Amino acid sequence: MPKLSLMFEGKTVKEVPIGNRPITIGRSPDNDLPVDNLAVSNHHARVYYEGARLVVEDLDSLNGTFVNDLRIERATLHDGDSIHVGKHYIKVDASHDAPMPYDMGRKAAAPAINETMVLDTKARREMLSQAAAMGERTQFASGRIKVPTILVLSGKTANKEYILTNKLTTIGKSAMATVRLTGWFKPEMAAQISQRDDGYYIGPGAKTPAVNGTPIAGPVRLNDGDLIEVSGVRMNFIFRE
Amino acid sequence: MRILGGGATDVGRVRSNNEDCFRLVQPLNLFVLSDGMGGEAHGEIASALAVETVVKHCMEADSNASAPLYGNPPAGLSAQTKRLMSAVHLANRNIYKSAQEHPEQAGMGATLTALWISGDALSIAHVGDSRAYLLRNGTLQQLTNDHSLVAEQVRRGIISASEAEQSEMQSVLLRALGTQAEVEVDSEEQALFARDLLLLCSDGLTRMVTDPEIAGTLQAEMDPQKAADRLIALANETGGIDNISVIVIRLENESKGWFSWLRPGGRKHAGKNGTAGGH
Repeated sequence: MPKLSLMFEGKTVKEVPIGNRPITIGRSPDNDLPVDNLAVSNHHARVYYEGARLVVEDLDSLNGTFVNDLRIERATLHDGDSIHVGKHYIKVDASHDAPMPYDMGRKAAAPAINETMVLDTKARREMLSQAAAMGERTQFASGRIKVPTILVLSGKTANKEYILTNKLTTIGKSAMATVRLTGWFKPEMAAQISQRDDGYYIGPGAKTPAVNGTPIAGPVRLNDGDLIEVSGVRMNFIFRE
Repeated sequence: MRILGGGATDVGRVRSNNEDCFRLVQPLNLFVLSDGMGGEAHGEIASALAVETVVKHCMEADSNASAPLYGNPPAGLSAQTKRLMSAVHLANRNIYKSAQEHPEQAGMGATLTALWISGDALSIAHVGDSRAYLLRNGTLQQLTNDHSLVAEQVRRGIISASEAEQSEMQSVLLRALGTQAEVEVDSEEQALFARDLLLLCSDGLTRMVTDPEIAGTLQAEMDPQKAADRLIALANETGGIDNISVIVIRLENESKGWFSWLRPGGRKHAGKNGTAGGH
């Protein structure tokens, strides 16, 4: 089972497995992972599975939650990531599979439907809330609206900030590119970001972009806070709440 | 840019009637595909009515730009995108009206995905779970969101993309034309580049053939018509559980060479129509 290890001054203080309930982190003793430090809020953050993704969410803490030294509101966690709260850090071990306890119930509840049918608004709301109740941990997340945004850190572009509204966002010199590069010798289409059902992916165009310093071979899913470099422009991909 | 298109539809290996419908209107570079649903032959009526309405509305607007716009398309979009959205709103009304007037057609509906290209500007209007894809630089990207229950569950993080593919609820749509008096229409605008390849297809293709197989076929077969035929053959080889419709559109650089004037009729392409039932 995946787990969180609370570390302090290089030593493991406490370990908690991540099951199908959210793990709460904070100074108050009623947390799953209590952290006794004044810089930590009573209910500071929580970690839970959203589908197959492990997510950490800051609960409006005073001093913030950091993942790999980047302040986050909400971020996807990967094996080996570290979460900082106050002076403590929490190591993420997600090398094991996510728990799937509700899987059986969901499959049994879903009748097979061969003919295409359309749900009216009421039936649709019922079905979605039913589905949400089965994956209880997702309720919290669905209330918030995340706006994917590109912040230009350096390099010549028409604007400094872009909100990604399209299924496909092109980065290049083309007059129709969303993130428009200016200056000499820039390619018409340097790279593109596509929105899929499970997130945003960056793919190469005439140039090979680098994500967090690593050049990509094919489309790569973007995580909150990722650094994108292409054609002499440095950008941050972030989710705004 | 030169735009080449090809399309095909097939009943598949399981069903007895074809409720899909598509049309390539090449003088306008307008491409429309619809997947109908409803008992008896009513799915065929719905998809044919959807395609016919969209094509007619766009052709009328092509000769008369001040033709009325339906469904209040949002400001900020190009006139072409607004027109395409208006056409889809009108199609919804026509199907809904027909179902109201003919009680035996109650519950019929259709998906609709339409592409309209002018110059390097692509407009998309979309309702349902038929799809538009773009193949660029070897990467196949879906340009439309499926309005299906499983896709919505993936977007909300309730199930994973691979769970969605296994789900028994894949046929449950959240939006379709003709089931309610008004419908929300998705729109999208994109810049196109030479060597881009566009694909429109019904779920009969995407449920049977994986994305890498689709990308591979499109890259291997340069002729759009042959590529469409091959994709349909692939879907049938793996079971053909539903009707399959495919439109393939290829964009090429217009030759500006010294001898280009010698090549006759480079820009003329005959329109090709396809309807359910194959007449």
